[in-house]
Amino acid sequence: MSETTDGQKTTLKIMTGAPVPAPAEPLYATGAPAPVVQPGTEMVTVTIDGKAMQVPKGTNLLEACNHAGADVPFFCYHPGLSSPAVCRQCLVDVKGQPKPVPSCYTPVADKMEVTTASPRVLDIRRQMLEFTLLNHPIDCPICDKAGECTLQKQYFDWDAKYARNDGIKVHKAKHVDIGKHIVLDQERCILCTRCIRVCAEVAQQPELTMAQRGDHEVLTTAPGKRLDNPYSLNTVDVCPVGALTSKDFRFTMRAWELQATPSVCPGCATGCNVEVHTSREQIYRLVPRENPYVNQYWMCDEGRFTYKRIYDDRLGQPMSGGELVEWDRALEDAARLLRAAVDQGPGKIGVVFSAQSTNEDLYALSRLAFDSLGVTRAYVAGLDQGWSDNILVSADKNPNTAGAIAIGGGRLKSLMDLANDVKSGAISTLLVVGERGVLGDGGTSALPISKLQSLIVLGWRKGPLVNAAHVALPLADWAEIDGTFTNRQGTVQRIRAAVPPAGDALPGWEIVTLLAHRLGMPLEFGGRPSTSPPSARAVFLDAREKMAFMKNADWGRTSLPIQLRFANSRG
Amino acid sequence: MDTTLTPSPATAPAGTRRVVLGVQEPEDMDLPTDPIPLNMGPSHPAMHGTVRMVLDVEGEKISNVDIQIGYLHRCFEKESEHATYTQIFPYTDRLNYVSPMLNNIGYAMAVETLLGITDKIPERAQYVRVIVGEMSRMTDHMTCLGAGAMELGAFTVFLYLLKAREWFYEMLEEISGARLTHSYMRIGGLSADLPEGLTTKLLDVIQRTRGVVDECGKLLNRNRIFRDRMDGIGIITKDEAIAWGVTGPVGRSTGLDYDVRKDHPYLVYDQFDFDVPVGSVGDNFDRYMCRVEEIAQSMRIIEQAIAKMPAGPVMVDDPRLRLPTKTETYNSIEAMIAHFKVIMDGIHVPPGEVYSFTEAGNGELGFYIVSDGTGRPWKCRVRPPCFANVAILPKVLPGLFIADIVPTFGMINMIGGECDR
Repeated sequence: MSETTDGQKTTLKIMTGAPVPAPAEPLYATGAPAPVVQPGTEMVTVTIDGKAMQVPKGTNLLEACNHAGADVPFFCYHPGLSSPAVCRQCLVDVKGQPKPVPSCYTPVADKMEVTTASPRVLDIRRQMLEFTLLNHPIDCPICDKAGECTLQKQYFDWDAKYARNDGIKVHKAKHVDIGKHIVLDQERCILCTRCIRVCAEVAQQPELTMAQRGDHEVLTTAPGKRLDNPYSLNTVDVCPVGALTSKDFRFTMRAWELQATPSVCPGCATGCNVEVHTSREQIYRLVPRENPYVNQYWMCDEGRFTYKRIYDDRLGQPMSGGELVEWDRALEDAARLLRAAVDQGPGKIGVVFSAQSTNEDLYALSRLAFDSLGVTRAYVAGLDQGWSDNILVSADKNPNTAGAIAIGGGRLKSLMDLANDVKSGAISTLLVVGERGVLGDGGTSALPISKLQSLIVLGWRKGPLVNAAHVALPLADWAEIDGTFTNRQGTVQRIRAAVPPAGDALPGWEIVTLLAHRLGMPLEFGGRPSTSPPSARAVFLDAREKMAFMKNADWGRTSLPIQLRFANSRG
Repeated sequence: MDTTLTPSPATAPAGTRRVVLGVQEPEDMDLPTDPIPLNMGPSHPAMHGTVRMVLDVEGEKISNVDIQIGYLHRCFEKESEHATYTQIFPYTDRLNYVSPMLNNIGYAMAVETLLGITDKIPERAQYVRVIVGEMSRMTDHMTCLGAGAMELGAFTVFLYLLKAREWFYEMLEEISGARLTHSYMRIGGLSADLPEGLTTKLLDVIQRTRGVVDECGKLLNRNRIFRDRMDGIGIITKDEAIAWGVTGPVGRSTGLDYDVRKDHPYLVYDQFDFDVPVGSVGDNFDRYMCRVEEIAQSMRIIEQAIAKMPAGPVMVDDPRLRLPTKTETYNSIEAMIAHFKVIMDGIHVPPGEVYSFTEAGNGELGFYIVSDGTGRPWKCRVRPPCFANVAILPKVLPGLFIADIVPTFGMINMIGGECDR
């Protein structure tokens, strides 16, 4: 994690346009990732199912096997955690060893000869599954994990035998409230200990433990503890069964009804890669998406709830003079106000950029403000600094501060300057693109709005600033648009539209372009003047040519959301 | 006009059976006409299942035909890529919808071949498949013959044959729960065994059906009106049939001795004694007679199958294929998971490709399936026998009269659901 923690140092890289790694493509890890080979690593030869291959010395045998194309199953192994070898699913035969070895716990040695699916191994694997299922409750119809359950998958793939036992199952607690966000079902737990290791190794707060022995063994919180660490919901993701469930997601939607859209968390400057899980144009949860450069396999609990703001008192229709109006009228009114300000001299217009906007929105706005209107007073707004840790959470609660600063190119001033300029009457007209954080905690008292001749706000949510605006235009929020965010490392990461915009809201770049057209200053992206640019991609490509920090960024492929029904299992 | 009993050189090549009526038309008696285009269909009583023919006619005579199919296109093949292997059965019901069981069988066998479990299908299931398949073949032929005869004026035959067809539909409904859209097969066997006492009823129905078919034969086989419009009309030669890929009763009427059940035996067809009727001329009457005889052969097969059918299971006992019973599902986690996975993920078919073909009502019904190892086919292509049979019509129809389209198209027996998919 160390490379992602030093926010200050890496932020400097943005300004120089240092090469940035392309965002990771969405990937459903079916097994272990390929071993990473550093130059100068000692290589050993290992034969897996008759296929000889070279791997770095000390590679985890399970990873080597699955990289070689074998399908070695596992419950307790996780590529981001240590291996305790408790589930016995990954046993393989190694020549010269009397018993099968747990491959997740075995480093590769030179000249090792491995058989991943010998009859003995398959038999043990099947017996272990039968043993695991012995006390497993018949919960699939009411279990949140059903449909994405690893136990279901492994049973179907490796056991597929009917029960030989109809004895009474050992009963344990069905719903234990173990933390702020999580409910535990001890009966469903298959004792893989992944969650314990997430708490200990990722969150670095060991809160979970095993208690009792034999078939009475249960997962529980350590005495006097609750599962309250800021990364607790990662335990739900890694849980191979439905033992740990999220209170937020629990019983809201079946997994197979969900569609996964790859995106990036907007909660802070870290930019954890996420999947937005939607069904029928409604977001149900965010889960982390693997990206070794940014967040590995994890994200914080706070980030998971950022989706809720999509449904939080949104501005869904343009407003002019306090009344709901059509887009046409609202744009005309906004253009009229701006024209009047231009007539007074361009120095009278102030423009507020938002660190919550995408690079595309910011770029289109910078074109309008600096190139077309010749604005000299521009400001950057965003949410206030918050808490941070040295794991994933950044103190900067804006997803695109780096992008805003780079696109502003040193011309953006602070919100304090904005307040002073408004107070002194230096600006008479204010155009705000993204209202979030403009007023800060102080509400309207922080900014003497009454001093302004006109106020035009492009906003996501209703609030004091939007209410005070002469013209308010609805902005499509993060999960509703295509675009890019630049995180604290300077990595330009792609976000994708997962749900349609609220009401009549439009993406920021589109509103800015429409406004520019009304002003008689049409913006060109990629050399094509248009009332409305063809797509966010066109704006991105144009921005990439002009902006050094985006030089190596990639828009990525167009892809349909993945139907979780056919993604087999998660966790 | 002078009528004789000699073959007409204008319409029937030498050696054909057309001896009944010929109209001598000297060149100078032809009225000068301009070719005009004429639309037949898509909505026309004789255009079974919606097809459009754009004809160029000179007087009553057809000079060119453009057959436009596709009105019943339902994206079967594309839809199949989004359905699990089991969910495709209801779609196959709607291919040739007068013999859905045969489509069920053809599709099930294709997937079973890909799974490599063809020899593991319980014997009883194979016998039941033969029985219901032959029942479906009979309903298919009876529909074709009844409708064909009706279009030539023999409404009685239509009612008689559909009465018999209905007896079989009732049997099939008793077996599968649905009169037409059976979805009775499963990958690995059947959804259920035959109902108790069904075979006895079936033998009785077969006896009665023999009477009906004989009666219809008496009404049609020597009927002047019927023969005049069937004999020597729409001739397809054996070589043409091979070149166009024409199979089934239409192909066999040309003398092409090809029946998948005999030439590439599947299920337990090699256990039965039955004949493959073959025509000699390849005209409408041959196609009619081939179907009549095939009905008789199907009844023979069913009687033998009922006599030989062993007891036993009708589904392979593999949790990866079989849907567990409700009792098993609600009482063990293993069966619960198996039930869940078979329904939600579908049966996992190993990666590979297969072309599997069976003898359906209209000829060789082929399924070409490509699997990528998931629960849904990566590609599911159908070779509908109708498609090839209809494709030869632009070769056959020119030179005939407009009225000849009706019996010729009727005896080709295009089924839109199958041809257009």
